[in-house]
Amino acid sequence: MIAQMHLKGLMFDPYNNAYIVILREEDHSDILPIWVGKAEAGSISLALENVAPPRPMTHDFMKSILDAYDAKVISVVITDLSENTYFAKIHMMYEDSEYTVDSRPSDAIALAIRCNAPIFASETVIRKQNSEELEQWLENLKPEDFGKLDS
Amino acid sequence: MSDSSSAPNHNLVEFKVDRVIDETATDTRIVVLTRTDSPTDTFPIWVGAAEGSAIKLAMDTMVTPRPMSHDLIKSFIEHLSVAVRRVVITDVKSSTYYATVYLESKGVERTVDARPSDAISLALRAHCPIYITQDVLARRSSGNLDAWLAKMESKNLGTQEVQET
Repeated sequence: MIAQMHLKGLMFDPYNNAYIVILREEDHSDILPIWVGKAEAGSISLALENVAPPRPMTHDFMKSILDAYDAKVISVVITDLSENTYFAKIHMMYEDSEYTVDSRPSDAIALAIRCNAPIFASETVIRKQNSEELEQWLENLKPEDFGKLDS
Repeated sequence: MSDSSSAPNHNLVEFKVDRVIDETATDTRIVVLTRTDSPTDTFPIWVGAAEGSAIKLAMDTMVTPRPMSHDLIKSFIEHLSVAVRRVVITDVKSSTYYATVYLESKGVERTVDARPSDAISLALRAHCPIYITQDVLARRSSGNLDAWLAKMESKNLGTQEVQET
Protein backbone atom coordinates (compact mmCIF):
# COMPACT_ATOMS: atom_id res chain seq x y z
CA MET A 1 0.00 0.00 0.00
CA ILE A 2 1.18 3.47 -0.78
CA ALA A 3 -0.20 6.81 0.31
CA GLN A 4 0.02 10.12 -1.47
CA MET A 5 2.08 12.64 0.43
CA HIS A 6 2.05 16.39 0.30
CA LEU A 7 5.16 18.43 0.68
CA LYS A 8 4.43 20.70 3.61
CA GLY A 9 7.73 22.46 3.96
CA LEU A 10 11.34 22.46 4.98
CA MET A 11 12.81 22.94 8.42
CA PHE A 12 16.36 23.55 9.46
CA ASP A 13 17.79 21.09 11.95
CA PRO A 14 20.56 23.01 13.72
CA TYR A 15 21.65 20.01 15.78
CA ASN A 16 22.56 17.98 12.73
CA ASN A 17 23.22 20.97 10.46
CA ALA A 18 20.79 19.43 8.01
CA TYR A 19 17.32 20.10 6.71
CA ILE A 20 14.11 18.17 7.22
CA VAL A 21 11.63 17.80 4.40
CA ILE A 22 8.15 17.44 5.86
CA LEU A 23 5.79 15.21 3.95
CA ARG A 24 2.26 14.78 5.24
CA GLU A 25 -0.26 12.17 4.31
CA GLU A 26 -3.45 13.97 3.47
CA ASP A 27 -5.99 11.46 4.82
CA HIS A 28 -4.42 10.41 8.06
CA SER A 29 -2.25 13.41 8.82
CA ASP A 30 0.71 11.14 9.30
CA ILE A 31 3.94 13.04 8.98
CA LEU A 32 7.01 11.67 7.29
CA PRO A 33 10.15 13.66 8.03
CA ILE A 34 13.11 13.16 5.72
CA TRP A 35 16.54 14.51 6.59
CA VAL A 36 18.35 15.92 3.57
CA GLY A 37 21.58 17.79 2.89
CA LYS A 38 21.93 21.52 2.41
CA ALA A 39 22.28 21.40 -1.40
CA GLU A 40 19.26 19.10 -1.77
CA ALA A 41 17.20 21.29 0.55
CA GLY A 42 18.21 24.35 -1.46
CA SER A 43 17.08 22.70 -4.66
CA ILE A 44 13.72 21.65 -3.16
CA SER A 45 13.24 25.11 -1.70
CA LEU A 46 13.86 26.87 -5.03
CA ALA A 47 11.25 24.67 -6.72
CA LEU A 48 8.78 25.15 -3.85
CA GLU A 49 9.11 28.91 -4.03
CA ASN A 50 8.88 28.81 -7.82
CA VAL A 51 12.14 30.66 -8.11
CA ALA A 52 13.81 30.38 -11.49
CA PRO A 53 17.55 30.63 -10.85
CA PRO A 54 19.65 32.42 -13.50
CA ARG A 55 21.37 29.14 -14.38
CA PRO A 56 19.81 25.66 -14.27
CA MET A 57 20.37 23.92 -10.96
CA THR A 58 21.24 20.21 -10.96
CA HIS A 59 17.60 19.08 -10.87
CA ASP A 60 16.64 21.57 -13.58
CA PHE A 61 19.40 20.08 -15.70
CA MET A 62 18.07 16.61 -14.86
CA LYS A 63 14.61 17.64 -16.02
CA SER A 64 16.02 19.22 -19.21
CA ILE A 65 17.57 15.89 -20.17
CA LEU A 66 14.27 14.06 -19.60
CA ASP A 67 12.42 16.79 -21.54
CA ALA A 68 14.90 16.55 -24.42
CA TYR A 69 13.85 12.93 -24.90
CA ASP A 70 10.20 13.42 -24.00
CA ALA A 71 10.54 11.16 -20.96
CA LYS A 72 7.92 11.87 -18.31
CA VAL A 73 8.17 11.46 -14.56
CA ILE A 74 4.88 9.80 -13.58
CA SER A 75 5.38 9.57 -9.84
CA VAL A 76 7.96 9.10 -7.14
CA VAL A 77 7.64 6.72 -4.22
CA ILE A 78 9.52 6.76 -0.93
CA THR A 79 9.87 3.01 -0.55
CA ASP A 80 12.08 2.06 2.31
CA LEU A 81 13.90 3.25 5.35
CA SER A 82 16.78 1.51 7.01
CA GLU A 83 19.37 2.96 9.38
CA ASN A 84 17.92 6.40 8.75
CA THR A 85 18.57 6.12 5.03
CA TYR A 86 15.53 6.43 2.85
CA PHE A 87 15.10 4.82 -0.51
CA ALA A 88 12.95 6.11 -3.32
CA LYS A 89 11.90 5.07 -6.77
CA ILE A 90 11.18 7.34 -9.69
CA HIS A 91 8.62 6.03 -12.16
CA MET A 92 9.23 7.31 -15.62
CA MET A 93 7.47 6.88 -18.95
CA TYR A 94 9.53 6.86 -22.13
CA GLU A 95 8.35 5.70 -25.56
CA ASP A 96 5.44 3.55 -24.29
CA SER A 97 7.57 1.84 -21.68
CA GLU A 98 7.68 2.45 -17.98
CA TYR A 99 10.97 2.54 -16.13
CA THR A 100 11.73 2.55 -12.44
CA VAL A 101 14.87 4.33 -11.32
CA ASP A 102 16.48 4.00 -7.89
CA SER A 103 17.12 7.33 -6.17
CA ARG A 104 17.52 9.13 -2.89
CA PRO A 105 14.24 10.68 -1.69
CA SER A 106 15.80 14.16 -1.85
CA ASP A 107 16.51 13.85 -5.59
CA ALA A 108 13.13 12.21 -6.18
CA ILE A 109 11.28 15.02 -4.39
CA ALA A 110 13.33 17.80 -6.04
CA LEU A 111 12.51 16.29 -9.43
CA ALA A 112 8.85 15.55 -8.63
CA ILE A 113 8.04 19.17 -7.76
CA ARG A 114 9.66 20.37 -10.99
CA CYS A 115 7.69 17.82 -13.03
CA ASN A 116 4.43 18.26 -11.09
CA ALA A 117 4.54 14.55 -10.34
CA PRO A 118 2.81 13.13 -7.26
CA ILE A 119 4.88 11.94 -4.30
CA PHE A 120 3.91 8.71 -2.57
CA ALA A 121 5.27 6.86 0.43
CA SER A 122 4.80 3.22 1.26
CA GLU A 123 2.72 2.57 4.38
CA THR A 124 5.63 0.60 5.78
CA VAL A 125 7.88 3.64 5.67
CA ILE A 126 5.25 5.82 7.31
CA ARG A 127 4.72 3.23 10.03
CA LYS A 128 8.40 2.52 10.48
CA GLN A 129 9.50 6.09 10.92
CA ASN A 130 9.92 7.08 14.49
CA SER A 131 7.72 10.11 14.85
CA GLU A 132 8.74 10.77 18.44
CA GLU A 133 11.88 12.50 17.33
CA LEU A 134 9.95 14.80 15.09
CA GLU A 135 7.25 15.50 17.64
CA GLN A 136 9.94 16.64 20.02
CA TRP A 137 11.14 18.86 17.25
CA LEU A 138 7.78 20.33 16.50
CA GLU A 139 7.18 21.19 20.14
CA ASN A 140 10.17 23.46 20.09
CA LEU A 141 9.38 25.05 16.78
CA LYS A 142 7.71 28.30 15.95
CA PRO A 143 5.89 28.90 12.64
CA GLU A 144 8.69 31.23 11.56
CA ASP A 145 11.06 28.29 11.57
CA PHE A 146 9.32 26.85 8.57
CA GLY A 147 10.87 27.78 5.26
CA LYS A 148 7.53 27.73 3.57
CA LEU A 149 4.11 26.77 4.80
CA ASP A 150 1.57 25.15 2.61
CA SER A 151 -2.00 26.14 3.36
CA MET B 1 25.10 10.67 -37.98
CA SER B 2 25.47 12.73 -41.09
CA ASP B 3 25.82 16.10 -39.48
CA SER B 4 29.54 16.70 -39.37
CA SER B 5 29.20 20.29 -38.20
CA SER B 6 28.27 19.06 -34.74
CA ALA B 7 31.46 17.03 -34.39
CA PRO B 8 34.33 18.44 -32.34
CA ASN B 9 36.42 20.73 -34.48
CA HIS B 10 39.44 22.98 -34.29
CA ASN B 11 37.44 25.47 -32.28
CA LEU B 12 37.34 23.05 -29.35
CA VAL B 13 40.23 22.29 -27.03
CA GLU B 14 40.08 19.20 -24.86
CA PHE B 15 40.64 19.55 -21.12
CA LYS B 16 40.55 17.12 -18.24
CA VAL B 17 39.80 17.61 -14.58
CA ASP B 18 43.07 17.80 -12.70
CA ARG B 19 42.00 18.62 -9.17
CA VAL B 20 39.43 20.27 -6.95
CA ILE B 21 40.74 22.85 -4.51
CA ASP B 22 38.93 23.90 -1.33
CA GLU B 23 38.38 27.63 -1.02
CA THR B 24 37.47 27.42 2.63
CA ALA B 25 37.13 31.17 3.18
CA THR B 26 34.14 31.43 0.87
CA ASP B 27 32.94 27.80 1.04
CA THR B 28 33.48 27.40 -2.68
CA ARG B 29 35.62 24.99 -4.66
CA ILE B 30 37.91 25.57 -7.58
CA VAL B 31 37.84 22.93 -10.26
CA VAL B 32 41.17 23.02 -12.07
CA LEU B 33 41.03 21.77 -15.63
CA THR B 34 44.24 21.12 -17.54
CA ARG B 35 44.67 21.01 -21.29
CA THR B 36 45.00 17.42 -22.48
CA ASP B 37 47.75 18.19 -25.01
CA SER B 38 49.51 20.71 -22.76
CA PRO B 39 49.03 19.82 -19.07
CA THR B 40 50.67 23.01 -17.80
CA ASP B 41 47.85 25.02 -19.34
CA THR B 42 45.28 25.31 -16.55
CA PHE B 43 41.73 26.59 -16.50
CA PRO B 44 40.05 27.13 -13.12
CA ILE B 45 36.29 27.27 -12.56
CA TRP B 46 34.71 28.32 -9.28
CA VAL B 47 31.84 26.10 -8.19
CA GLY B 48 29.73 25.63 -5.07
CA ALA B 49 30.76 23.28 -2.26
CA ALA B 50 28.16 20.64 -3.18
CA GLU B 51 29.06 20.80 -6.88
CA GLY B 52 32.75 20.53 -6.03
CA SER B 53 32.18 17.50 -3.89
CA ALA B 54 30.11 15.85 -6.66
CA ILE B 55 33.09 16.30 -8.99
CA LYS B 56 35.53 15.06 -6.36
CA LEU B 57 33.46 11.92 -5.77
CA ALA B 58 33.52 11.13 -9.48
CA MET B 59 37.28 11.79 -9.72
CA ASP B 60 37.98 9.45 -6.85
CA THR B 61 35.52 6.95 -8.38
CA MET B 62 33.97 6.77 -4.95
CA VAL B 63 30.91 4.60 -4.71
CA THR B 64 28.44 6.15 -2.31
CA PRO B 65 25.90 3.97 -0.48
CA ARG B 66 23.08 5.78 -2.28
CA PRO B 67 23.17 7.31 -5.77
CA MET B 68 24.10 10.99 -5.73
CA SER B 69 22.29 13.46 -8.02
CA HIS B 70 24.65 12.98 -10.97
CA ASP B 71 24.57 9.21 -10.56
CA LEU B 72 20.81 9.54 -10.91
CA ILE B 73 21.26 11.59 -14.09
CA LYS B 74 23.56 8.88 -15.43
CA SER B 75 20.99 6.28 -14.50
CA PHE B 76 18.28 8.18 -16.41
CA ILE B 77 20.54 8.43 -19.41
CA GLU B 78 21.19 4.69 -19.35
CA HIS B 79 17.49 3.94 -19.10
CA LEU B 80 16.83 6.20 -22.09
CA SER B 81 19.70 4.53 -24.01
CA VAL B 82 21.25 7.94 -24.48
CA ALA B 83 25.01 8.44 -24.80
CA VAL B 84 26.76 11.54 -23.49
CA ARG B 85 29.08 12.42 -26.37
CA ARG B 86 30.86 15.44 -24.95
CA VAL B 87 30.45 18.50 -22.81
CA VAL B 88 31.59 21.90 -23.99
CA ILE B 89 32.21 25.05 -21.99
CA THR B 90 30.79 27.45 -24.51
CA ASP B 91 30.60 30.91 -23.06
CA VAL B 92 31.48 33.23 -20.25
CA LYS B 93 29.36 36.23 -19.25
CA SER B 94 30.06 38.34 -16.17
CA SER B 95 32.36 35.61 -14.77
CA THR B 96 29.67 32.96 -15.22
CA TYR B 97 30.58 30.04 -17.44
CA TYR B 98 28.05 28.30 -19.64
CA ALA B 99 28.20 24.70 -20.76
CA THR B 100 26.40 22.53 -23.28
CA VAL B 101 25.98 18.78 -22.92
CA TYR B 102 25.79 16.84 -26.20
CA LEU B 103 23.60 13.76 -26.02
CA GLU B 104 22.97 11.20 -28.71
CA SER B 105 20.33 8.57 -29.11
CA LYS B 106 19.65 6.52 -32.23
CA GLY B 107 21.81 8.83 -34.28
CA VAL B 108 19.97 11.95 -33.18
CA GLU B 109 21.96 14.53 -31.29
CA ARG B 110 20.39 16.78 -28.70
CA THR B 111 21.98 19.52 -26.65
CA VAL B 112 21.15 20.55 -23.11
CA ASP B 113 22.20 23.77 -21.39
CA ALA B 114 24.01 23.25 -18.07
CA ARG B 115 26.26 24.83 -15.53
CA PRO B 116 29.86 23.68 -16.07
CA SER B 117 29.81 21.95 -12.66
CA ASP B 118 26.88 19.72 -13.67
CA ALA B 119 28.37 19.14 -17.12
CA ILE B 120 31.75 18.14 -15.68
CA SER B 121 30.18 15.94 -12.99
CA LEU B 122 28.26 14.10 -15.66
CA ALA B 123 31.22 13.91 -18.07
CA LEU B 124 33.34 12.19 -15.42
CA ARG B 125 30.62 9.64 -14.73
CA ALA B 126 29.80 9.07 -18.39
CA HIS B 127 33.50 9.01 -19.40
CA CYS B 128 33.10 11.55 -22.15
CA PRO B 129 35.52 14.33 -23.15
CA ILE B 130 35.36 17.89 -21.83
CA TYR B 131 36.07 20.73 -24.27
CA ILE B 132 36.46 24.48 -23.94
CA THR B 133 35.93 26.73 -26.95
CA GLN B 134 38.87 28.80 -28.22
CA ASP B 135 36.71 31.85 -27.71
CA VAL B 136 36.27 31.15 -23.98
CA LEU B 137 39.98 30.37 -23.65
CA ALA B 138 40.88 33.64 -25.32
CA ARG B 139 38.64 35.60 -23.00
CA ARG B 140 39.84 34.19 -19.71
CA SER B 141 41.68 36.60 -17.49
CA SER B 142 44.90 34.64 -17.49
CA GLY B 143 47.63 36.82 -16.02
CA ASN B 144 49.77 34.87 -13.61
CA LEU B 145 47.09 32.33 -12.93
CA ASP B 146 49.43 29.49 -12.14
CA ALA B 147 51.24 31.51 -9.51
CA TRP B 148 47.91 32.49 -8.07
CA LEU B 149 46.70 28.89 -7.98
CA ALA B 150 49.91 27.76 -6.33
CA LYS B 151 49.44 30.41 -3.69
CA MET B 152 45.86 29.33 -3.20
CA GLU B 153 46.92 25.75 -2.66
CA SER B 154 49.70 26.58 -0.24
CA LYS B 155 47.25 28.78 1.59
CA ASN B 156 44.90 25.87 2.05
CA LEU B 157 47.67 23.77 3.47
CA GLY B 158 48.84 26.36 5.93
CA THR B 159 47.76 29.74 7.17
CA GLN B 160 44.16 30.88 7.23
CA GLU B 161 44.59 34.65 7.04
CA VAL B 162 45.46 35.96 3.63
CA GLN B 163 44.67 39.07 1.72
CA GLU B 164 42.58 39.03 -1.42
CA THR B 165 44.36 39.31 -4.70
